Amino acid sequence: MLFEVNGLSKRFGQIAALSDVSFHVRPGELLGLIGPNGAGKSTLFECLAGVMPSDTGAIRAGGRALRSRERSSILFYVPDGIAPWPAQAVGWALDFTVGFLRGRADLRDEVVDQLALAPLLDQPIGTLSKGQRKRALLGIGLLTHQPALLIDEPFDGLDLRQARDIAAALRAHAARGRTLFLSIHQISDAARFCDRFILLSGGRVCGEGTVTELAALAAAHDNSKTYDNLEEVFLALT
Amino acid sequence: MPSRRPPFLWLLDKECRELIVSRSWWVLLLGMGPLVGVSFISAVHTYAEVSGLNGTSAGVGEALSPLTGVWAPTFSACELAAVFLLPFVAIRLVAGDRQSGALKLELQQGTSSFARITAKALVLTAGWLIAMLPPLSSILLWKGYGGSVYPPELATLAMGHVLNAGLTIGLAAAMSALTEHPSTAAILTLAVTVGTWIVNFFGAIQGGWWERAAGYTPAAMVAEFQHGLARLDTTLAALVLIAAGLALAAIWMRLGVGVQRRVYESAAVGVVAAAAILACTLLTPSWDASESRANSFSRPDERVLRRIHAPLSIEVHLAPEDPRRLDLEHHALSKLRRIMPNLQVRYISSTSIGLFEQTRAGYGEIWYDLGGRRAMSRVTSAEGVLEEIYSLAGVTPPAENDETIFRGHPLAAPANGAGVIFYAVWPGLVLVSGILARRRFK
Repeated sequence: MLFEVNGLSKRFGQIAALSDVSFHVRPGELLGLIGPNGAGKSTLFECLAGVMPSDTGAIRAGGRALRSRERSSILFYVPDGIAPWPAQAVGWALDFTVGFLRGRADLRDEVVDQLALAPLLDQPIGTLSKGQRKRALLGIGLLTHQPALLIDEPFDGLDLRQARDIAAALRAHAARGRTLFLSIHQISDAARFCDRFILLSGGRVCGEGTVTELAALAAAHDNSKTYDNLEEVFLALT
Repeated sequence: MPSRRPPFLWLLDKECRELIVSRSWWVLLLGMGPLVGVSFISAVHTYAEVSGLNGTSAGVGEALSPLTGVWAPTFSACELAAVFLLPFVAIRLVAGDRQSGALKLELQQGTSSFARITAKALVLTAGWLIAMLPPLSSILLWKGYGGSVYPPELATLAMGHVLNAGLTIGLAAAMSALTEHPSTAAILTLAVTVGTWIVNFFGAIQGGWWERAAGYTPAAMVAEFQHGLARLDTTLAALVLIAAGLALAAIWMRLGVGVQRRVYESAAVGVVAAAAILACTLLTPSWDASESRANSFSRPDERVLRRIHAPLSIEVHLAPEDPRRLDLEHHALSKLRRIMPNLQVRYISSTSIGLFEQTRAGYGEIWYDLGGRRAMSRVTSAEGVLEEIYSLAGVTPPAENDETIFRGHPLAAPANGAGVIFYAVWPGLVLVSGILARRRFK
């Protein structure tokens, strides 16, 4: 187990964004965080990365709770919908990731190639389209050195071909032992890509496991049915 | 293989790039040329007229000190820019990371927020020093006209404006980190600046604690430096305020820390800063760097005053807005405090303007108490005050020495070439550099 999350909660005033969220993450797995819009996926990632304070709960690794600062040794989070350093070129952002974020210089060319970033290297990030920006952000994330990479909506804004290519790139990184924890609201995308899933709805974890394990869980809830795809499982459990 | 360059240098590099691509900084640079040009040209013109240009009668003395005649008005462009332009540069640099989402990525690196805000402050200070090139270049022009330059007073003046810019940077950084949006930060920064003007206004009409507080506002601090006076208490108080502003910014940039904890930490910073400022106000050393010794009595007078050890207290029955009180304060008491740090001054009045107190018995009286011996006078000039003190102390006034009197440096020269430099060459240089640099760093 790479790390586990125990009893994580977060409230925004009267609204409970996360309630007693607990799950575990294994090394080298492709873990999907699925849930409808507003389920608390981004909030969960931000709390895990320590860029948003949680009210209660802990992240444990190596048998002990990690302080907020220590989390950067095991995980890195790539938010959705940001345009960091908008006036700077993509190439500079990748160099900054390698330099400041202590990323992997040896992967730079490979990541540029995998994400087709070469034509964008001299372009300011603020001038990129949504899909191009997403690729640049994924590039930043893939260059970081942490064993777990949390990506919020990795396929959002990408066309079919790009989504396929990027899925292949992410798989290649996962095959080398990197844990990818992806927040995906399109369940069909998640089903195609991930090994294991965490179902989040209304800020609560409704299930955790492979499709088979989740289908069994759903069946246990409702003995009269059998489930053979993730969408049905999701609907049954949330 | 990880980069060998320390993360702090990466931050500096990033902040430099962000400053260079920031339109607000280039606008600041562009605006400094004409602002300094207007001030410098009109100051040189007035100085020349007072010196006898075009047949006007020549003046003498303090009016012809380049510090008050040329440098104070020329560098006042820096004060304007620090109030109205620099906040936007600072807010853009500090709030930009949060707006773009870059902060969420950078926070995961683990570098402390204090290091991050230090990098921003260093780059902003460097940016401000570049913006101060036009007033500094006016020194070369003045030398070219044959003008006199006294480096200590110029260095003091420049230091005052750097400190003032530091205050703006600290304030803008704190506001940028405290608020969600840069426009809110800009409004709050300007509101605080206007607030200090209100304190100055109340200080002028109410006296008392308002007057004391007004002595520590940026405008009052700059005014002292403009007269060539470097006070340790105001300098340290300014540095404490700058550090407090940056500390607040660092605290509120830590998005992953709970709001309640950030509030407690901010309160602690506030308490520590207030205590430090209070301690600073107890420090009395000051340095008169002006060539004309505008903030000091003559050296022989100072030697005699230093020999008087009995406690001196002065009770002044004049209202805050009475011009005689201003005369007394600026020409005598402020100089006296520098020589006799234990001097006690009490201002007594029932109204702020004093107009309707003129008929009150005792209004206008100045009571001196030196070691139990008392005397009253109504004279508000420096000579009158010194005469009373010498008389009470029973010491002989020093003989007048013409050699110690500052005679000034008259210069009846037109501001040739200044218009071209400040209205054409500097803006042109800024525009070309701006276009090239933004292309290079984008």
